[in-house]
Amino acid sequence: MSRKIERLINLTIALLATKRYLTKSEIFRSVDGYEGSEETKERMFERDKDDLRNLGVAIEVGSFDPVFEDEAGYRIKPEKYSLDLGELSGVQIALLSLAAEAWRGAALDAPAHNALTKLRSVGVESDLDALPAIAPRFNPAHKDFQIITNAISKRARISFSYVSSNLEIQLRTIEPFAIATRDSFWYLAGNDVEKSQTRSFRLDRIEGDISISKANQGYEIPDGFDLFAHFESQELPEIATVDLRKGKAQLLRTSALTTSDMGEWDRITTRYIDAERFIELVLWHGEDALIIEPESLKKQIIAKLNEIVARHV
Amino acid sequence: MSKPVQTPLGRTARLLDLVPFLASHQGIELKALSDNFNVTESQMVADLTTLWMCGLPGYTPLELMDLSFESGFVTIHNAETLSNPRALNDEEIIALLLGLDIVMASLPSDRNDLKLLAVDLIKQLSIRSSIPSKMSAVPATPGSVRAIIESSLIEKRGVEILYHSSYSDEISRRIVIPIELRQENGFEYLWGVCQSAHALRSFRLDRIQEAVVKSTSIDAVPVTATEPSQGISYTIHAHSRPRQVIERFAINKEAFTANLQVVSFSTEWIKRSVLASAGSVEVVEPPTIRSEILHSAQSLLARYQGR
Repeated sequence: MSRKIERLINLTIALLATKRYLTKSEIFRSVDGYEGSEETKERMFERDKDDLRNLGVAIEVGSFDPVFEDEAGYRIKPEKYSLDLGELSGVQIALLSLAAEAWRGAALDAPAHNALTKLRSVGVESDLDALPAIAPRFNPAHKDFQIITNAISKRARISFSYVSSNLEIQLRTIEPFAIATRDSFWYLAGNDVEKSQTRSFRLDRIEGDISISKANQGYEIPDGFDLFAHFESQELPEIATVDLRKGKAQLLRTSALTTSDMGEWDRITTRYIDAERFIELVLWHGEDALIIEPESLKKQIIAKLNEIVARHV
Repeated sequence: MSKPVQTPLGRTARLLDLVPFLASHQGIELKALSDNFNVTESQMVADLTTLWMCGLPGYTPLELMDLSFESGFVTIHNAETLSNPRALNDEEIIALLLGLDIVMASLPSDRNDLKLLAVDLIKQLSIRSSIPSKMSAVPATPGSVRAIIESSLIEKRGVEILYHSSYSDEISRRIVIPIELRQENGFEYLWGVCQSAHALRSFRLDRIQEAVVKSTSIDAVPVTATEPSQGISYTIHAHSRPRQVIERFAINKEAFTANLQVVSFSTEWIKRSVLASAGSVEVVEPPTIRSEILHSAQSLLARYQGR
């Protein structure tokens, strides 16, 4: 195993150091570790190239003289190999460190830690003192979270079992576009291959393993796709007027647009998108919250209350 | 922490990242170096020994990397070719983009300067990634509150919190002697001894609105033994929307049947949850809770129809 690793490192060094393309025969002659018959060396080299590409090392193929059909040569361009985020200040390194730290114990711990190691190698001291004391942290998500990010970067389809709203288990095949988190839940959005529609999924509703397809790769991710904006833009928010008992219904108060004092009650206005979910939130507050407007919403909550009464008489 | 990668490719990646890290951390202690790469010291020595055999073609001492680590401190020379850190890959960029988003949401509103820096970093990282979609993160808990809780844990001091209890729908100020942060059902909780209750309590972090570290040290606080709270056992019948029911009442999907036995510590919570289920859930037992829900729904109806 060590011999192979040495050879891969030596190949990387040789291809990085060269100013011109190196031919295969030059590589076999000069890079340590290529031994055996011509055929063996060829096989070794092909595998090594694939391995380095899998590590994200871009090997360029070219020739000395494009006019004549020379033997192909190889090199690694240092500017493609190296990290380059422009001139980074100590404060920027500190921000990036906090960003990586947020993954501690969570799904992308390993890539975040690797990124941090690379950033620390830039040689700029992190200026953590310049930042206020904040310690944001990601919640753990599905155990196969990294398969999703891996699939997004490879443009590979994924399949999983999803618990539908009536508890049926559905097999879904998705071309993932993005992942995002809000209020402790993780979401995945992508093209549902069977339905040919962009859909979103909550990761905690995925059952069992997520599998990645080796065959179907290379779909397009819509430019600038934004998971939350995509699903929210479908419907316009409406405004509701709700009466709240003084000192109560904190969850509704936090989203109030206006509040007016009515003595024992406060009258607030607030935005809502999904009427059903909004009614559930109002009902959670029991006798401390009453919908005043719009009339349609009032009708719906009355219908729901009649249903609750009918279930419990 | 990440698991040490022991495949040949994983080790190669580690060695490639080790060189620039060493070049920028000359004389680092072997132990600290091993910790940073999350490997044992003997694995690190094996890695360094492998690196020692690598260098530019020719492979005489002039071309080989020059490493020294026998003293327990590691230095590297003659490694210029590999001394720049490798470019970030797409997964590392995804991790940083989401991380920066959550950091930005945690910055106080008067630090627009830092927000602008973060926005610029997000732009720089996005350009370098092959992924055209946006990754966004909205944290449940403000990072500033979390930092205060963390520091109270480290300093072993009490913390005063402004807490919104969603069961009783009340905001109260309490002093808590923190014990630990715990993840449960996808939410983060602070476990600690609540001074006003003189008992062990858990607080969902996203419901803590403010936090201040107190000067009280932990030893100064009398901690009374906590009695196990008595759970209330109740039976519900799920009429519709089963996924919502199992998520709301934290029921195992495998255990789902139309009639469900559930235990809760708060009557208030049961009533609220059943009302919010908007008719898809019926309380079968106990009759007291059943009639309280009926009463609430009827009096709400009277109010709506009276207006």
